Amino acid sequence: MATDLAPPEVKAVPAPVRRTRMSPRTALLRYRWLYLMVLPGLAYFLVFKYLPMRGLTIAFQDFVPFLGYEGSQWVGLKHFEELFTGPDFGRLLGNTLILAALTIVFAFPAPIVVALLLNELRLGVLKRAVQSLIYIPHFLSWTIVASLTYLLFSVDYGVIAGLVHGVVGGTRVDYVAQAEWFRPVIVLQTLWKSTGWGTIIYLAALAGVNADLYEAARIDGAGRWRQFWHVTLPAIRPTIVVMAILTSGHLLDNSFEQIWLMTNSLNRSVADVFDTYVYYVGITQGGYSYATAVGLFKGVAGVLLIFGCNWLAKRLGQRGLF
Amino acid sequence: MNLTSRRLLAGLLAISTATAATACSSGDEPGATNELTMMVPLFGTAPDPAGEMQKAVEKLAGKKLRITWVPNAEYGDKTNVTLASDKLPDLMVVQDQKGPSFVKAAEAGAFWDLTGKLDKYPNLKPRNEQTRLNSSVNGRTFGVYRVRPLLRSAVLLRKDWLDKLGLRPPKTTDDLYEIAKAFTEKDPDGNGKKDTYGLIIPKWPTPVFNSSNPYNAIDVWFGAPNGFGMRGGRLVPEFDTPEFFAANRYIKKMIDEGLVNRDFATLDTGKWNDPFVQGKGGIIIDVNVRATQLYGLLKEKDPDRYTDMLAMTGNLARPDGQKFSLPFTGYNGVLAISKQTIRTDAQLDEVLKVLDRLASKEGAVLLTNGIEGRNFRVEDGYAVHINEDDPAVKTMNNDVDYAFIQLGTTASVGVGGDAYAWKPASKAEQDNLRLRAELEKLDLQTAVHDPTLPYISPALTAKGATLNPIVTDARVKYLAGEITEEQLKAEIKRWYDSGGSQAVTEFQDLIAKGGN
Repeated sequence: MATDLAPPEVKAVPAPVRRTRMSPRTALLRYRWLYLMVLPGLAYFLVFKYLPMRGLTIAFQDFVPFLGYEGSQWVGLKHFEELFTGPDFGRLLGNTLILAALTIVFAFPAPIVVALLLNELRLGVLKRAVQSLIYIPHFLSWTIVASLTYLLFSVDYGVIAGLVHGVVGGTRVDYVAQAEWFRPVIVLQTLWKSTGWGTIIYLAALAGVNADLYEAARIDGAGRWRQFWHVTLPAIRPTIVVMAILTSGHLLDNSFEQIWLMTNSLNRSVADVFDTYVYYVGITQGGYSYATAVGLFKGVAGVLLIFGCNWLAKRLGQRGLF
Repeated sequence: MNLTSRRLLAGLLAISTATAATACSSGDEPGATNELTMMVPLFGTAPDPAGEMQKAVEKLAGKKLRITWVPNAEYGDKTNVTLASDKLPDLMVVQDQKGPSFVKAAEAGAFWDLTGKLDKYPNLKPRNEQTRLNSSVNGRTFGVYRVRPLLRSAVLLRKDWLDKLGLRPPKTTDDLYEIAKAFTEKDPDGNGKKDTYGLIIPKWPTPVFNSSNPYNAIDVWFGAPNGFGMRGGRLVPEFDTPEFFAANRYIKKMIDEGLVNRDFATLDTGKWNDPFVQGKGGIIIDVNVRATQLYGLLKEKDPDRYTDMLAMTGNLARPDGQKFSLPFTGYNGVLAISKQTIRTDAQLDEVLKVLDRLASKEGAVLLTNGIEGRNFRVEDGYAVHINEDDPAVKTMNNDVDYAFIQLGTTASVGVGGDAYAWKPASKAEQDNLRLRAELEKLDLQTAVHDPTLPYISPALTAKGATLNPIVTDARVKYLAGEITEEQLKAEIKRWYDSGGSQAVTEFQDLIAKGGN
């Protein structure tokens, strides 16, 4: 939950000369415009992220909306017990983690690779055109992406499904229905939709690499590959690390709409993740408390992952997020 | 994430409704005014509170109405939020009145228990005992039900295909199989290619097992219970009967032979009509009102021939000739009365009198058709639109069709009741309307009602997320050939072991206690 908080800021290097300490009031006065600019952001987090946390208390109650927070009965950890000992937990955790792992392996490096490739393009026009084209899917809703997928991969009329069948032969595969194809389809959708958008931040980082470094490397006799390895990659490494830490907080957040739209009776056993489960239990079955308990568990796990990755990054000698 | 934003929205809505409710109730003694507040679903744009329709409804009701119209897509969320706030309107339409949030609120005393109280109002007295029973909650009546057809399952077929192959609409499941086979193999569209199939089955959006989908209809036709049923003094679920397996072998045979769309596990229900209209598939098992949609779509495609393109029949008999029909609940939500603002019996009586006037013949016509001589006239017992070019009348028509009809309890969408049916454009469509009424009457005699409908099993509510998909998914897997019949039986056992047994016991006790 807290993952959206910190932008990938670069920490100021401590100045060698110590300034005299300002009183808080002087500081407030001197930087008043900066503080003023921070206010809307702060208000956003307060109203939309922190105030709703009050509702988390219902995870420990048998919440009845009519009776309200005060009137509902407290039940302690009952809902958590139910979750951890229930028949669904193992499957949900497994599905969520597998999709998360696939995201790390495929979706995380993809924008880096694409950004590096784009960076090597000489022709500015081509580079910008490609960039714009691969952004576009980001602006389509998952509903549209899902419809396109059904259209292209449906067993009866899917164009791509038909093409593959024409080339490979054999029995027709129902890519959108069969359980074994669920994860590949989800990964492909994610790659198609988010890779282009993800390149933005890396392209920005690449643009900031000092051109002198390349020149120096060339003078030292470095070829393209060497330049890439010794200049480009180290230059964007901090960005990669920060992005990795930020991503870790979202690992358990599978994209709800995407998965919900692709789920059917044949693939539910691999498609059920915490997010769809929370929706089903909470919204359609009215199990507010139980759903909140599941959500809270997910949130806590996400925070732990962020701290873990941050710690790991620091241990590996990288600059962490905090 | 989606849920977070939903929760946020809910919070904001709660704040805004709370302030709105405070704003209108300030200074008013609750119930002492000549005004009723309501919350009602909306399918278009909200009517003008000073508009002609609202004035006419207020005149009949004898009260000023302050109606909060809520778009239907958000109605469920908004209901939950309203129930969570402490400002309930005097009257609200509750669509999911078996849902835990309403039931818990009602049992906590938020709404009037109307059990036995409606009989002295001539138009509110339940007209159908089965529907009254279906709409009750554990033996209690928490609202006035909004009527819908009690039976409306039907088989819709491409009439032009039947005619070309010299076939007649089916009477039995065997007929249906033969027709599906002929539609697949005998080139019913005459284009020389084998590019058609028989039955169109979509992916059902809810994992709840007995949700009146084509599978359930076929189960019931073969003699399985509708949801749950008594067998030898014991309550059993639909899927724990030999008839269920017979029905599924039948469906599987059709699927294996290619008589059903291959994407039956994924086809969106929103696209259910497409293969039918495009001439790919020829049979739909659903509700009879789908005929209206299909006529409309076929007319767009082929205005000259569309009246000869649709045939309809009701429930089918099983191979041995015995017939069982799949009924519906007979209602769509209830009008519930808040105890918060309507405090005394006298006040309740006043509100019920208002509802009684709206449920009268005059009220039914007003809410379903509009104002006679203004936006419609009566012709051969049908209502026909008039003055349609007048913008004011256009507004009236919208107000009726997309808003006020939702207040109807004795007549409504698809139910004539005391109101007039709109006169269809062609004779075929008029015949279809008549056929619906005939089939409803005929099939009701063989209707298999679900004895658990009036009751709520705590176990099923609590464990629904685990229980509901088990057999629903297993059936589809069985039909797709991914698991065997033995494995399907194992999944049914898993349903029992995961809490299903408890749900059955609870239902059985409630039924025994209810004495129905």
